[in-house]
Amino acid sequence: MSKINPLFFALGIPVVVIVILVVLVAPRMSGGGKFADLTPLSVEKYRSDWSSLQGNLYRLDCQVEQQLAFVEGRGRVLAVKPIEKDPTRSTGRIPVFVPAGSADSFEVGQRFKCRLRVTRDLLVVEALERF
Amino acid sequence: MRHSLFSLFGWCALTVLGFAQAPPPGATVNTSGTAGDYKSSTAEGGADRIFNVNSDSVDMENGTMQWKGTTMNLGNSRAVRARFERYLAAPTDSGDMKRYVAVLEQIQLLLSPQSINQDNYYRNQQEAFNLLFKAAEFDIDAGSSLTIASQVQKIWVMKREFNQIEITKNQLETLRKVQEGIVINRADNIEAANDSRSASATKAKPLGKSSSGTTELGYKVKDEARTQAEILAKNAEMTALGLKSKIEFQSQMVSFLMARRYRHSLITSSFYRVLFKGGSQNIVVGAKEVKEFFPISDFVPTLESFDMLSREAIKDTTKGMQTVDDLVKQGELYGAFERLQETFFLGEFEPIVMSYPQEKKREMLALWKDLRELQRLGDEHDLGSVEGYVNKVRGRARDFPGAPILSKVTNAINASNMSLLSAKSAALAGDNAKAEAALERAAKIWPQNPGVKDFATQVVSRQDTMAQMVPQFDRLFADAKWRDIYNNKVPFGLALAQDKERSAKLLKVIARIGELDFKIQKASVLFTENNPYLAWDIIVDAYKSESDDLVLAKTRADISSRVGVYSGLIDTAEKLEKDGAEAAALTAWLAAQDLNPPSTICGAAVKRLAKSVAESAVIRATGAVPAPPAAPAAGDDVPVPPKK
Repeated sequence: MSKINPLFFALGIPVVVIVILVVLVAPRMSGGGKFADLTPLSVEKYRSDWSSLQGNLYRLDCQVEQQLAFVEGRGRVLAVKPIEKDPTRSTGRIPVFVPAGSADSFEVGQRFKCRLRVTRDLLVVEALERF
Repeated sequence: MRHSLFSLFGWCALTVLGFAQAPPPGATVNTSGTAGDYKSSTAEGGADRIFNVNSDSVDMENGTMQWKGTTMNLGNSRAVRARFERYLAAPTDSGDMKRYVAVLEQIQLLLSPQSINQDNYYRNQQEAFNLLFKAAEFDIDAGSSLTIASQVQKIWVMKREFNQIEITKNQLETLRKVQEGIVINRADNIEAANDSRSASATKAKPLGKSSSGTTELGYKVKDEARTQAEILAKNAEMTALGLKSKIEFQSQMVSFLMARRYRHSLITSSFYRVLFKGGSQNIVVGAKEVKEFFPISDFVPTLESFDMLSREAIKDTTKGMQTVDDLVKQGELYGAFERLQETFFLGEFEPIVMSYPQEKKREMLALWKDLRELQRLGDEHDLGSVEGYVNKVRGRARDFPGAPILSKVTNAINASNMSLLSAKSAALAGDNAKAEAALERAAKIWPQNPGVKDFATQVVSRQDTMAQMVPQFDRLFADAKWRDIYNNKVPFGLALAQDKERSAKLLKVIARIGELDFKIQKASVLFTENNPYLAWDIIVDAYKSESDDLVLAKTRADISSRVGVYSGLIDTAEKLEKDGAEAAALTAWLAAQDLNPPSTICGAAVKRLAKSVAESAVIRATGAVPAPPAAPAAGDDVPVPPKK
């Protein structure tokens, strides 16, 4: 029985791990991942002319700043801070509504990828993923 | 009593002359009359207090002056003052003063004990008598020497009468002795006749008269008794005449002393000493007055006592006038005036006083008039003019003590103003009785207080003002013109003091605007401390209830220039909320809070809207679409909130 060279295992295993990691992390690093197909929400546009965004779906990467309100059976209103790729273009906080069906817990400082729908003037979170 | 009679020297006189004549605190009084003290030591307590109504030395009611414990008659107060003023204004008496004094001294010398003797007794009297007429020729003598001459003449006439009575008395005595001899003779005859009848009675009883000659004897005895009575009557007449002459002469002497004609008193005394015998040298008239000069028990007044007082007064007068001259030379006119005043009343008729130069008297007169005017201002409580006059007098007499007067005037002005203030307070409180009393007090202290007049005018027009102010207040209140009411709070307060309902409304308005002003002040302070957003919060809060206030609007305009973005966000949020876009409004509030994290109004709005959004999120999703806010101009970006 031919024996496999142990050096093969020694080099092969780390290579395989690295490849797997690259496959998993690269899409995230490039802005992809969940809701990658959605258009990012323009906070400026929402603030200045939210009526033109009504009914649309958007993706929003954000960090929880504060829970402003919670109504049992209805949901909660969170103040989130959008995460901008360009830190110099930081925008202020905006409110989002998380309906009562969500099973997630929210803590200050947590980051989420959200799928938002502009319902009238309200940003309603339809789905989200923590990252 | 003295106060009432000497009203001219009232309140101000006390301050002006009373203070002026009192020795300064701590000053030593040189009673020996040496340098530095120009007060007459002998006249102290006398003439130097002439215008001090509280002084016991001057009795203005009776017009008398105390000197060395005795009373001198000056006439009534008005006359005293007039006499001094006339003295200052009158030209100096003409004539050779030295010659006049020399004549008077010559008279005294002729009658003095060292000059007069048995040989020249009558001659010296006659010469002195003649010199009296020479002295009377001088104006300043005022005929006093003639009075003495008349008195002396009367004594001489009396002496002749004495001689005549003496002769008559001697003749009567001779007659009485003759009558006495006749009586004795007739009695002897009757006795002899009776004896002869008794011897012959045993022989036979004769018929007819048993005695004769008794009737004639009776008449002769009666004649002798009448002559005796006539002699006694002559004796009594002589005694009365002598006593009368003595009293008259002494009276004249005392009169001259009390009238302060000391030299004439001395001459009268000299004549008296020569004219009357040793037994008549005791003092009958004026003994009590003279005793008062010498507070010694069992003191027996003599002619020499009179002489000593007169000489003392002459010496004091001379010393006083020398002091006046010295003070004038030193420029201390007020002090000189005071000394002249007291010296005048002590030795008004002394040649040295009467011959004081006219130009100096005119200077004193001007000062006297200013002082009188100052007194008048004081009497009338014209406090506003006193200071000017004090300065005027100071300009004339640099030693005039004006500071105490000005101090008293200032105190009086303050007291009057305080009373006036009290009257105003009482009037505001509606206590008319108290206001009236306080106003009366203020006017009594200072009748010409301009504040009194103003206040009186205010009181008089108060009813008219009320009639105008009440409808004005109602109109402004109805129009919610709080600031206008607040700006006129004092007039409104005065006018509405009696109207409880309106007063309560006024107080509410004052409190409301007071609170608003406090907020405005607070906002201004924060703004100046570079906290414009917090300042704006206060303004926004105040603006909700006082949007019509002009002061607030101005402050708002001033601050808004520094908080344009912040105020814009708040305006947008309020507008969106009003339009029903609560989520958008919440977004705007959050942006505003990012700019001003400590803002309470942002925090409250965020909390309120978040709850509302959470409650109505599902319903809103199916509701009508509200009108979105107008798009902001290009470049009007929402600012980046500060990093936490």
